[in-house]
Amino acid sequence: MKRIFAFALLLSLMSVLVLKPAGSYAGEKPDTTATPVESRMQLAYLCGADSVILTATLNLKKEDGTVNLKNAFIEFSASNGESAKSLGKFATDQEGNAICKAPVAGLPADKDGMINYTAKFTGNKKYPAAEASFKAKPARIRLSFSIQDSLRILKVDVTQKNLKGETAPIAKEKILVYIPRIFSLLKIGEITLDDAGSGTLEFPKEIVGDTLGNLTVLAKIEENDNFGNVQGQNVINWGVHKQYYKAEVPSRELWTPIAPLWMIITLIIMLAGVWAHYMYAVYELIMIKRLSKREKPPLF
Amino acid sequence: MEEETNKNQKNTRRQFLKKGLIAGAGVAVGGSLIAAYVDATATETGEKVKVLTTDGEIMEVDKGLLKLPRVSREESHQGLPGRKFVMVIDLGKCKNARKCVEACQKGHHLPKSQEFMKVYLLQDSEKTSPYWFPKPCFHCDNPLCVSVCPVGATYKRSDGIVLIDNERCIGCKFCMTGCPYSTRVFAWKHYEEFEQDKEPYSPEAGSPGKEGTVSKCDFCPDLIRVGKVPYCVSACPMGVIYFGDVDEDTVTNGTETFQFSKLISDRAGYRYLEVLGTRPCVYYLPPVERQFEVDRGFGDLDEKIKERYKDTPYSKKHNP
Amino acid sequence: MENEQNNPLKEFAPQLERTTMQGYTWILFLLLVIGVGFYAFLQQVLHGHEVTGMRDNVVWGVYIVNFIFFMGVSYAGALISGTLHLFKTPWRKPVIRMAEFITVISLLIGPCFILLCIGRLDRLPYLVLFGRIQSPITWDVIAISTDIFGCFIFLYLAVLRDLALLRDYELLKLPKWRKKLYKALALGYTGTPEQQQRLNRATDIMAAMVISIAIIVYSVLAWIFSVTLQPGWHSTIFGPYFVIAAVYSGSAVLIICMWVFRKVYHLEAYITKKHFVAVGIIMLVLAAFFGYFTFSDYLTKWYGSEKNDELLIQLLFKKFYWPFIISNYVGVLLPLIVVGLARFRTINNITFTAVVVVVALWLNRYIIVVPTLESPYLPIQDARPEWLNYTATWVEWSLTATGVAVFCLLFTLASKFITIIPVSGVTGEEKKEDVLI
Repeated sequence: MKRIFAFALLLSLMSVLVLKPAGSYAGEKPDTTATPVESRMQLAYLCGADSVILTATLNLKKEDGTVNLKNAFIEFSASNGESAKSLGKFATDQEGNAICKAPVAGLPADKDGMINYTAKFTGNKKYPAAEASFKAKPARIRLSFSIQDSLRILKVDVTQKNLKGETAPIAKEKILVYIPRIFSLLKIGEITLDDAGSGTLEFPKEIVGDTLGNLTVLAKIEENDNFGNVQGQNVINWGVHKQYYKAEVPSRELWTPIAPLWMIITLIIMLAGVWAHYMYAVYELIMIKRLSKREKPPLF
Repeated sequence: MEEETNKNQKNTRRQFLKKGLIAGAGVAVGGSLIAAYVDATATETGEKVKVLTTDGEIMEVDKGLLKLPRVSREESHQGLPGRKFVMVIDLGKCKNARKCVEACQKGHHLPKSQEFMKVYLLQDSEKTSPYWFPKPCFHCDNPLCVSVCPVGATYKRSDGIVLIDNERCIGCKFCMTGCPYSTRVFAWKHYEEFEQDKEPYSPEAGSPGKEGTVSKCDFCPDLIRVGKVPYCVSACPMGVIYFGDVDEDTVTNGTETFQFSKLISDRAGYRYLEVLGTRPCVYYLPPVERQFEVDRGFGDLDEKIKERYKDTPYSKKHNP
Repeated sequence: MENEQNNPLKEFAPQLERTTMQGYTWILFLLLVIGVGFYAFLQQVLHGHEVTGMRDNVVWGVYIVNFIFFMGVSYAGALISGTLHLFKTPWRKPVIRMAEFITVISLLIGPCFILLCIGRLDRLPYLVLFGRIQSPITWDVIAISTDIFGCFIFLYLAVLRDLALLRDYELLKLPKWRKKLYKALALGYTGTPEQQQRLNRATDIMAAMVISIAIIVYSVLAWIFSVTLQPGWHSTIFGPYFVIAAVYSGSAVLIICMWVFRKVYHLEAYITKKHFVAVGIIMLVLAAFFGYFTFSDYLTKWYGSEKNDELLIQLLFKKFYWPFIISNYVGVLLPLIVVGLARFRTINNITFTAVVVVVALWLNRYIIVVPTLESPYLPIQDARPEWLNYTATWVEWSLTATGVAVFCLLFTLASKFITIIPVSGVTGEEKKEDVLI
């Protein structure tokens, strides 16, 4: 577990995700506040089909609190203890995250196949340097779909490169299967791999896909001591076709911007009726005034 | 108590791990979830504003660096395309920890006297069991508050969210009497907290509030837009509140994710005061298999907050 | 100049020409009350609505009560004057002008109270710019503005003959501008047959219009309450109930006005006991109707005893016991006894009853508005204790007093401008009573 994160500032990062982001700036301006500053970095690792995604999170511990560091450049590299390969420099966003995606092929691995990933913030006048690293072995998950005896079967095959550089199965590991949703991943099952590095899952019914029923399915190894986080994905149209929401009872729709027709018509009729009579009364008054001009006064 | 704290921390740790992974998944799936936060163009304006840090402290930060993407008033009238949001509240798990209330107040820059989220101590009848009942806005599908608004200041979007445009609202308070759930609050005066947020106004951000206008729980559309769940959902230590897209049939409390339809059918979910025909978008799971005794809800409460429940039938019976 | 000698205006001229010391004191007193009200209003503008007793639960308070009350009085004036005119009620003349004044004056005051209740007065134009037809408030805005126009036209038609008389009465000791104003306003009306015919036709039509508009407008006002789902308001009976309550309160205000002007301008010869009994009987009939509607409304709530209705009724019989008793028992029974039994029918008794009825109906509106807001579907919990119950603050009371003061002031000024009793058609040769009564 502890290998996954170099620093586990659990509570603070938890709240990073919760609260509105408060960014700070890693510019060159000298720090005006003299409070001691400590930079902290965490590194999250995810191995995809043929690339790895490294997410470094940088934040500052000040006397008066913790903030994310934004626009700081993080240098990512991979090494096997002897040679290192730079993966590039990436700036942090306002959550303090810098994300690096690198192809797995060609990364230097040690004799066990492990690759040591490092994220490094060199620091500047204002903020001290910080570094985090993480070790994992690349792996690959493939998903395939088939229908057997009218049952929908999801099959996963998980492989790694063995010492000779050949593809070899990963046995006995636990695979979690998810559907990605707007805010989170919906878990639809678990698979334990057999010796051949594969396993199956009866695909559940009544999972809502898009309007055509397409579903993106993710299979993951999570928090594994050797492989870290590994993920494979595939698309299948086994989902229930998405029906956009309709009110269960026809709405009276008084809340819509436009009023119902009957209401508009009633209003117009009533107002027209009333104002026509007003006009008539005013017309009579005007006529009274005119009459007085025509027949010059009997009274004065 | 000690034990519980530990447990909480474990939970938190667990939640964090999940969240980290979720973020990673977002990238793998399409990058859209993460990309929305990135604002590389922000520059320092030299003007400092006070913000809340992740530790809950106030500190000064440059104004130009504070942006959550904030949409214009016009855009905020459109819902997120193809979405229909829904909330599920598990009454069996609520112990009136009030973290939802506090996170909501902080997130929306609310003054202490305004709460969008309220926690009731309900007891349906004398012999039935009392339970804690967190109540956000129900974002009804037949919202009476919207129907009665004379100027269209409150409106319902295609994604189901009922919002208020505080620059349109004339403060007639008709919506407050129209809402049968007493959800809406009025700014009876100008509050300092309204000034904390200096960004151009957007009904989506809900703040800064304006004196003499109505506001309420808004399902945090600014957070939703960047793929995050509302403040109350992520703040709840018990994971009481689930949030999601009903068309996608999924809700999450940040830790666990469920199929909405399955959750509702397994746990006999219901909507409060269905009889009124307002068709709320907030569902409740009945207070069964309680994780806490009702009394625990009074545990760590401030005396002033405790005072608020003194007239409930439960308090009258148990603390004469 | 024989004409001048017999001019009925002669008797009423002092009313228009002179203001007594008492009169000035009265006006000064009213201005003082209005001044305090203005200060209160300033407080509300400067410090926000926090200076009122209204809070998140009871969002509408005394302001709305006053709004309903004054609008009610106004519609009552319209209904009474319109009806009396249309049916050519023989005794109408001495009281009809007062009813018309009541209509217009309270119609000017009523809407001001809803403005006091609005949080953002600066955004008032939005009601027109962004008006939504679905909202009962929009209905109300349209209805009230239509009503104001209608009532002004009706009042103008009704006073046109008198304006012509005032213009032509040369002995009137008034400043020049007043005479010029009369001349301009009289539109050159000289009473030729065709002018008379046109005037009568217009007046008849407008009388019919104000009656129907009054009913619609007051129903619309009632619907503001009854379209909501609040237990105390969500009632189909509210439209007619409000109309009846309005006319009822208006008849009582009319009696009070009759009594006051009879005393102040010494109109004992014109406004007699007959008139008091006649309007009193209207009040009696309306009291019966009002009692019937009130009973229907509360009976159905009480009998079915839905949970929230039950809570409301409990609240009415505990916390709001006295207002409830005064408005719905005393306010109904007193006129039935005093006007109903011949031996109690004196001018003072009827007037006293009218005062009680006015108070009762104000309280009636209070117990419609406030207790309902204090007993919502979700119990009031998790709110600051000081926010739980509504008590009007001095700001609200002061502005209420201002409303009444403005009513009195405008009435006083109106009576200084035009005779409080229509004088056209009255000639000295005939006996006053024969013509007027």
